[in-house]
Amino acid sequence: MPALTLERLEKRYPGHVAASSVSLSVNDGEFISLLGPSGCGKTTVLRMVAGLIEPTGGRILIDGRDVTALPTNKRNIGLVFQSYALFPHMSVFENVAFGLRRQGVQGAELTRRVEQALASVRLSALGDRLPRQLSGGQQQRVAVARSIAPRPSILLFDEPLSNLDAALRDEMQIELKRLQREVGITTLFVTHDQGEAMSMSDRVCVLAHGVVQQFDTPEAIYHRPATGFVASFMGRPNRLGGKLARAGGAAATVQLRDGPVLAVAQAEGIADGAAVDVVVRQEDIRFLGAQDVSDAANLPRYEARVAMRSFVGSRVQYLLALGGIELIAEAATNGPHAGLEVGAPVGVAIDPRHVYVNAAA
Amino acid sequence: MTSRHTAGALLASPLLLVLLLAFVAPVLLMVPLSLHPYVPGSGIASGWTLANYTSILTDEYYREVVLRTLVLGFGVTAICLVLGYPLAYYIANAGPRMRLALTMLVIFPMLLNLVVRSFGWIALLANRGLINNLLIDVGLIERPIRMMFNLFGLLVGMSHIFLPFMVLMLVPAIQAIPKDVQSAAYTLAASRLRVFWSITLPMSAPGILSGSILVFVLTISALVTPRMLGGATYKVMATLIYDDFLQTLDWPAGAAMSFVLTALTLAVIALSSRLLKRWGGQA
Amino acid sequence: MSTSTETQRQGLGLAATAIAVVVFLQIPVLVVVLAAFSKTAYLTIPPKGLTLHWFEVVLRDPEYLSAAWTSLWLAAASTAAALVLGLIAAYAIHRRMVPGAAALTSLFMAPLVLPSVVLGVALLQYYTMTGLRGNSLGLWLAHVVITVPYVVRASLGSLAAVDESLEDAARVLGADGFTSFRLVTLPLVKPGLVAGGLFAFITSLDNVPVSVFLLSASQTTLPVKIFTSVEQGVDPSVAAVSTLLIVATGIVLLLAERWTGFHKHV
Repeated sequence: MPALTLERLEKRYPGHVAASSVSLSVNDGEFISLLGPSGCGKTTVLRMVAGLIEPTGGRILIDGRDVTALPTNKRNIGLVFQSYALFPHMSVFENVAFGLRRQGVQGAELTRRVEQALASVRLSALGDRLPRQLSGGQQQRVAVARSIAPRPSILLFDEPLSNLDAALRDEMQIELKRLQREVGITTLFVTHDQGEAMSMSDRVCVLAHGVVQQFDTPEAIYHRPATGFVASFMGRPNRLGGKLARAGGAAATVQLRDGPVLAVAQAEGIADGAAVDVVVRQEDIRFLGAQDVSDAANLPRYEARVAMRSFVGSRVQYLLALGGIELIAEAATNGPHAGLEVGAPVGVAIDPRHVYVNAAA
Repeated sequence: MTSRHTAGALLASPLLLVLLLAFVAPVLLMVPLSLHPYVPGSGIASGWTLANYTSILTDEYYREVVLRTLVLGFGVTAICLVLGYPLAYYIANAGPRMRLALTMLVIFPMLLNLVVRSFGWIALLANRGLINNLLIDVGLIERPIRMMFNLFGLLVGMSHIFLPFMVLMLVPAIQAIPKDVQSAAYTLAASRLRVFWSITLPMSAPGILSGSILVFVLTISALVTPRMLGGATYKVMATLIYDDFLQTLDWPAGAAMSFVLTALTLAVIALSSRLLKRWGGQA
Repeated sequence: MSTSTETQRQGLGLAATAIAVVVFLQIPVLVVVLAAFSKTAYLTIPPKGLTLHWFEVVLRDPEYLSAAWTSLWLAAASTAAALVLGLIAAYAIHRRMVPGAAALTSLFMAPLVLPSVVLGVALLQYYTMTGLRGNSLGLWLAHVVITVPYVVRASLGSLAAVDESLEDAARVLGADGFTSFRLVTLPLVKPGLVAGGLFAFITSLDNVPVSVFLLSASQTTLPVKIFTSVEQGVDPSVAAVSTLLIVATGIVLLLAERWTGFHKHV
């Protein structure tokens, strides 16, 4: 039995629909991300699971039990807020103890459980402090400890890392994932950062305009995007437009508007001559050396010219002029193609499997 | 959603009930009272009449009282502005310790009982009060100057009573003026006086209006100070109502005067909020 | 541009005016205190003799003592009721649990707008009709009506400053509505509530325009007693009572500032 099931969950407001027919099923112990741009409905879905927003349609089942009508305080869930929502007038210890006290835990047992929770986020010595005396990262950890101390069946995160600086964010991503593995708790994690979602999750649910776009493993979403939205949301995309052509048989090509023709591997369900949105990711454009004997040599090859070069640290970004259009491509900083000069001609290969086409919106 | 609304109703209805019973109902019940005729000697008669309202306009005595009340309102407001603005300006621009000390000194008399403060003015202004005794002892006058039971006494006493309100409304308004606007004016070679007249004063206009409205409304509604400093002979609208209900027992007249006073108050407040809304964009 | 001495002179002029006004504000208070100690029934500077006689008169007068007692319990009872009724109503409005929040708020603040004397006479008629005249219940209700706007205003302000997700967090952790209010919101709105309650208490304690119509000779409050006795002629015992009130107010003000930083909420 899945730990969490959402059945056609809907939230309708006068004027707009925040979530529409959202269905998903989460297995026990899985780490699932709800990913999408702001306004896509991910927070609405999370708050409906928490019981803070009442759905206008659909059901929520936790461990097989229909909790849709159950008030928040009876759902046995944990929620880490974006602002942490630590009780400012209570010490760290009292914050973490709050949920336990509501369960009737007292005395020595209470102290033990609180210390256990603080230890799991590595904050054991800070029990007496007040939230305002802690750094942002520490507050965040207290929020996590407070949520897991009562041993909820589901743990929810509402963009908990967006207020942290980049270095701390990376660190916390690893910590949270490790913690989740140790505790084994089913987790629903809301974020707008695709890197974060992919690195932490067993599966990712991509949402746009309140509708589920795709719900699959990170690799599947990245390599086999189901919709145009997912294709252009993941990775670093070049967004182009064109017309599909099928030259008889399965092989297809796309004629880019004002640009060259690209070979396409996957174009199911799109008619010959149809207008399409095309996504080619920056990281998928491969530079070819003069005598390249790598597997890239078998891929379709295009001649381009370097129009601009930017050094971005871990990689070098190029603006390439290619048959009438411009594409952004990148090369590893320490690789052989990092030093191309502006104006220089260069050959690139694009794998047809990395040319993502979808019917034009 | 409905459980939320039931809880909300449970929380708000006790207070709602109290106000409906002890505030709205009593006021509404005064309406029919104001429309009954009053017969001196026998009391409130049955039947309906508008005489209680029309006599406020036609009777010379009533007209005088209303006019006096309004003149008092404007006079006290003006005095409070003239005295209060410099103090407010000083406080707004002072350092934090001075500001705290002065603010406390302004708040302190406000918290004192109104009766006590009015009594203080009696002690000062009476014929055998401090000021007259001082002037006679020094030899400046021979007979006491009449400073109570007239407009002068009321003006002075009430300006003092309501001055803190004006100051406390002005201070935040002056503080809200961005300092860099004034600095910009100085760099354009304006003198301090000019900067004050063309920048500081107009930009504190909303505060001036709020303070003035508050003081005006408080002045025309006041009972205690006019009664103590004006006595039973020099009446304003509030003390007239007091006498109607407790002395002459002409309740219908008192009720009608009450509604006229209320209407005046509401009209002034409504007018000023219109003005404030319009100025909101310019300030 | 003005020279620096001119600027200095203007600055000094402003300071002098400000100080003069502040002194003006304190004068009647000083006069009352002076009169309380004066031997003669009329006032002079310097006073023609000092005495504590009037204080003795006041502290021994059973009428003054009973009036003081009435004022105190009335203020305490109405403030307590105003705090409870006002806070929960403000909470319902703040959390949008009732429709027409703006209209309700206006109604709750309306007693501040209506001239007190009008409310006083309206209640006089109303209580005469309903038999509540001279009744403590009626007096208490009247005082709740005039004090509750201060509590509502302070509550709405304090509630607005509390992070809404705090109560949500408490609920997620298993607390029901009342418990999360009690353990999380209430402690955080306490300072504002104390300020509102203090205002309410003082408003009730000082009130004359409403109370004067509802009291009788047998049951009166301190300010009303002073008010009516002044009509009968001034004697320094009035000044003595007033001085005691001044001292009490001063102490309360200092304590309030110490405990809550009162001046920030005014």
